[in-house]
Amino acid sequence: MAEMWISMGPQHPMTHGLWTLKVKVDGETVVDTEPDLGYIHRGVEKICEARDFTQITTYCDRLCYASANTWSHSYIYAAEDLLEVEVPERAEYIRLVAIEIQRIASHLMWLGAYGPDIGNLSVMVWCLREREMMMDLLQELGGSRMHYNFPRVGGVKRDLPHGFAQRARAKLKLFLNRIQEYEALFDESTVFLVRSQGVGYAKPEEMVNHGVTGPNLRAGGVNYDIRWAHPYSVYSELDWEPPVERSSIKGADCYDRYRVRVEEMRVSASLALQALDKMPGGADTHHEPGDPMILAKAPTRAPEGTTGAHHFEDSRGESMFYIAGGGEGRGKQPYRVSIRSPIFITIPFAAKCMIGYKVADIPAIMGSFDPCIGETDR
Amino acid sequence: MIHMASGDWLDIVGWSESFTSWSMDNVHDVMPSNDIDMEVTIPSTWAWPEPITIGPIFNLQQGFASIQPALESFMHATIMCTVVFTVMMLTMLAIPYIERKFIGRLMDRLGATTTLRSLWVGESGVTAGEWWKQLPFGMGIPIGWVFNLLNSYWGNSHELETVSRVNNRSYHGYWFLLPGFFQAFADFMKFATKEHIVPKNADKVVFEIAPVIILATTIMVFAFVPFGPHIYAANPELSLLFMMAIFGVAPLGVFFAGWASNNKYTLIGGMRSAAQLTAYEIPLLITVLGVAVLSGSFNIIEIVDFQMGQNEGNVWNIFLLPLGAALFLITMIAEVERIPFDMPEAEAELVEGWWTEYGGIRWGLMFAAEYMRSYAACILFALFFLGGWEAPFQHTLSGLSTVGGTFETVFTAVPGLVWVLIKAWLLFAVFVWIRASLHRVRTDQILEFGWRYLLPLSMVNLVVATILRLEVWTGEPWDLWVPVTLTLAALALFVILAIDEDEEALEVQRRPYSTQAVVKASPGSHRD
Amino acid sequence: MGKIVPIKTQRAEAEKLAAAISEIDGVKAEVAERACGTNPRPVVLGNSSPESWRALAETLHSEHGVDYCSMVTGVHWPEGDGDKKWEVVYHLMRTGIRNPPIEDGLVQPVIVDPSTVEGSDTPLELELHVHLPDTRTPSVDSVQDIWLGADWNEKETWDLVGIDFDGHQGMRRVLQPHETPKGFHPLQKQHRLRYHSFQDMYDDSQGFMRKPADAGKIK
Repeated sequence: MAEMWISMGPQHPMTHGLWTLKVKVDGETVVDTEPDLGYIHRGVEKICEARDFTQITTYCDRLCYASANTWSHSYIYAAEDLLEVEVPERAEYIRLVAIEIQRIASHLMWLGAYGPDIGNLSVMVWCLREREMMMDLLQELGGSRMHYNFPRVGGVKRDLPHGFAQRARAKLKLFLNRIQEYEALFDESTVFLVRSQGVGYAKPEEMVNHGVTGPNLRAGGVNYDIRWAHPYSVYSELDWEPPVERSSIKGADCYDRYRVRVEEMRVSASLALQALDKMPGGADTHHEPGDPMILAKAPTRAPEGTTGAHHFEDSRGESMFYIAGGGEGRGKQPYRVSIRSPIFITIPFAAKCMIGYKVADIPAIMGSFDPCIGETDR
Repeated sequence: MIHMASGDWLDIVGWSESFTSWSMDNVHDVMPSNDIDMEVTIPSTWAWPEPITIGPIFNLQQGFASIQPALESFMHATIMCTVVFTVMMLTMLAIPYIERKFIGRLMDRLGATTTLRSLWVGESGVTAGEWWKQLPFGMGIPIGWVFNLLNSYWGNSHELETVSRVNNRSYHGYWFLLPGFFQAFADFMKFATKEHIVPKNADKVVFEIAPVIILATTIMVFAFVPFGPHIYAANPELSLLFMMAIFGVAPLGVFFAGWASNNKYTLIGGMRSAAQLTAYEIPLLITVLGVAVLSGSFNIIEIVDFQMGQNEGNVWNIFLLPLGAALFLITMIAEVERIPFDMPEAEAELVEGWWTEYGGIRWGLMFAAEYMRSYAACILFALFFLGGWEAPFQHTLSGLSTVGGTFETVFTAVPGLVWVLIKAWLLFAVFVWIRASLHRVRTDQILEFGWRYLLPLSMVNLVVATILRLEVWTGEPWDLWVPVTLTLAALALFVILAIDEDEEALEVQRRPYSTQAVVKASPGSHRD
Repeated sequence: MGKIVPIKTQRAEAEKLAAAISEIDGVKAEVAERACGTNPRPVVLGNSSPESWRALAETLHSEHGVDYCSMVTGVHWPEGDGDKKWEVVYHLMRTGIRNPPIEDGLVQPVIVDPSTVEGSDTPLELELHVHLPDTRTPSVDSVQDIWLGADWNEKETWDLVGIDFDGHQGMRRVLQPHETPKGFHPLQKQHRLRYHSFQDMYDDSQGFMRKPADAGKIK
């Protein structure tokens, strides 16, 4: 049968977001691919040139809406580098709690979408229910369920609510038990193993050269993580190891990427629990918003010629903000904000990984790289 | 000893036959019995010497008598078809209900006890309200006592308050009619009233024919399926052959639908479906052949009678052919395209597969046809392997000393239809269970599984069935050791295969399957 | 406790690298500090002339093990001084990642102990600026064949900012629609944000009616 181009998207149940994947198939085999992005390009980088540094935080939440806290914190660290602010330690701990719970929620969303891609419908409901627990916690912290606008330049907007630590511990411990149920549904299912092993190989060196990091990279047998390579926040104070998966000799396949994320959920839960235990001042004390224990005084103007950048370990890889100061309002607004999205780089790589496999493997491979189009298109 | 065919009091076939013959006899008697002479005699002329008589002599009554058997069978067939179709559609209403509710419960992961408790405890503080108060004449007051009693002894503890918020589903619907029951009707109404859209360059003739083929063959299957010992539309001697033949025509309709829609997705879906259904027809037919060989007949009713056996010592086929039962289950799930074999309509890739372009009543009817095929599969399993309309341990229970009489009465009073339905519905619940837990297998893996594993196994099953029939079967009821040995052997094999022996090797290996990639992917190999 | 790369090792390596690449003509590099919340970190801050950019990139890749291109940013400075009318900022990193070894048919995962990294395996961060003079068609040498991660970043930079990349294969619009008019690159400074807020743009609180002055304008 002749080769033909199929267009998967922009409206397609597989694509986890609004983008098109044009696939050239020869029967059932994928021969060529071409991803097409930009459907929800909102011009965030341009908008940020007309906003104050505090106003930009809300935009960054909406970059990757499934993982909002990681993005707003990524921006805030870059802004703090630009404005040269030192952050109180308690604020760093609170940020870590927020970031790690957000990472769990993001991975749960991924797992809940990955199951139906491969055919298992139940796990979507199960994962979203646990995600509700995490979103409840984040709602207590940030005020809304998805876009929290939580960090401020110099700290966080408010402290842990009363009783938060106790509820967080209960929920995280319950969650750690529930992970075993997901593993039972996936790892003990031969059908899943057959679908996801041997599919979508990628080797670490080619991934790095291509710009892919994060769980996708750690699935290949290397434990590179920005949190220890270019450390920020208080990860050095806590006991943790980034999960690594031994891949096969041909590289990391979808099964490895799945396993890394499941283990990452466990590691994030343990990080959050440790941070609650080690919080300076105790997790049960509560400071008013604006208290110097949680928010340092920060300048609001960045003069021309200053720059700030920060590499951040997002749920999907390495995200980076680069801010050039000296914009409108004599530096109250940035001159240029540049956002590095891990998935923008991963999607072309995943599209290449698909060549040679079957059409049925497309959602398996694409889903295993965890695309989120909000950050891709900015 | 010649055994009588099994029966019960719900003899619809008999009633229909006697009714039609009674009514035809009445018509016959009412007809005038005199000869009506309509002969015309042409007198002889110079061309022909003898007078020619042409024309008939009508005798209405005799004429009617000559066509009466045909009329009777036609009327009987019409009645039985209508009855069977109605029975099938009414009892099929349970199927989407089971699917929806059971999958809902599995997805809730609440568990059986919590589900039961939710009847009085509600879910996270949401209950049905004090519904018993709406009953007239104060009938609800004792219900209220029971409710409060249950709540006081097995009520809600508040330890799980933290997570109870996520269970927030309330209980809508009339309490006496299973809530959610009318969803199926509402869905069907919606499909029936939707616009009929044909894609622009679709092959219109084939596009319209395809749903007709699928639906017609599916409904025709039910012509041969006996719902009870005397509830069937047709019972030819080779009903099994006819039925499996018709069951296998639907892939043709599926392929037509996939091709005619002028859509690359549906084309891929149609091809996958054709390949899959063809691949699984063969093990299915060989398994069914095994059942037929064992039971000694191609007639479904005789197969059920074989399982019901003589007065004692009957054995259901599932205990004699456990491998066959498992094969039948798997191949039927593939034939009706349910998860894990629903690659042809895999939503994640092909949106809806071969029926993407169909909307409105055509889609609704094909969707119904899919459930009809699942239902047929469940009923067939119940008939072939689970003894059809026999109650479990029917002979043993009836043969007990004191209580046997009561059981006998109960078994006589309950029509066989009830047992068939219960078994079919329970088996459908198993289908749903499988659907909710397993992932979708990829097409080439499905085909590999069908051709390389199921086909040889079905051959093995056929050999076992042949040996049982020829060597072990003596015309007398089965000895107890036969089914016990076979079932235990199958269970032992299953357990042995299911236990992972070398944990370490598995842990390290963990890559039992491979795929064949055409061209190894690597960055830079993408042409611009 | 969680191990991290010691700051002393990173700083030493950064200084070494900065000194090494400053040897190249047209390149100036030094080690700066990032605030990073509570942990300051060294970063190699470099400035390269457009002519020596390609040589610098190749050296970094082949001799210094810089294997990861994080981001390519383009900035438009219409009022910048001298040579700095257009700027391309490259964020690169050295990750120290190698393919894990295979023994007995099994992959042995590489678990790096961050506190003991040294030498050329130390993760490093680089920020390289390339300034371009005033021109209607700014362009820089492409590094698409050195780091594939730069591929889509360069496409995005051209798409949004308008800086072209010599030798880039398959340049096309990635974030804007394919039919965007030629020469339209929104992040250039002459394109002003017309509206700064919702109230600017609409006349009513629900956003149905445009302001009378903007009647007929495309958003």
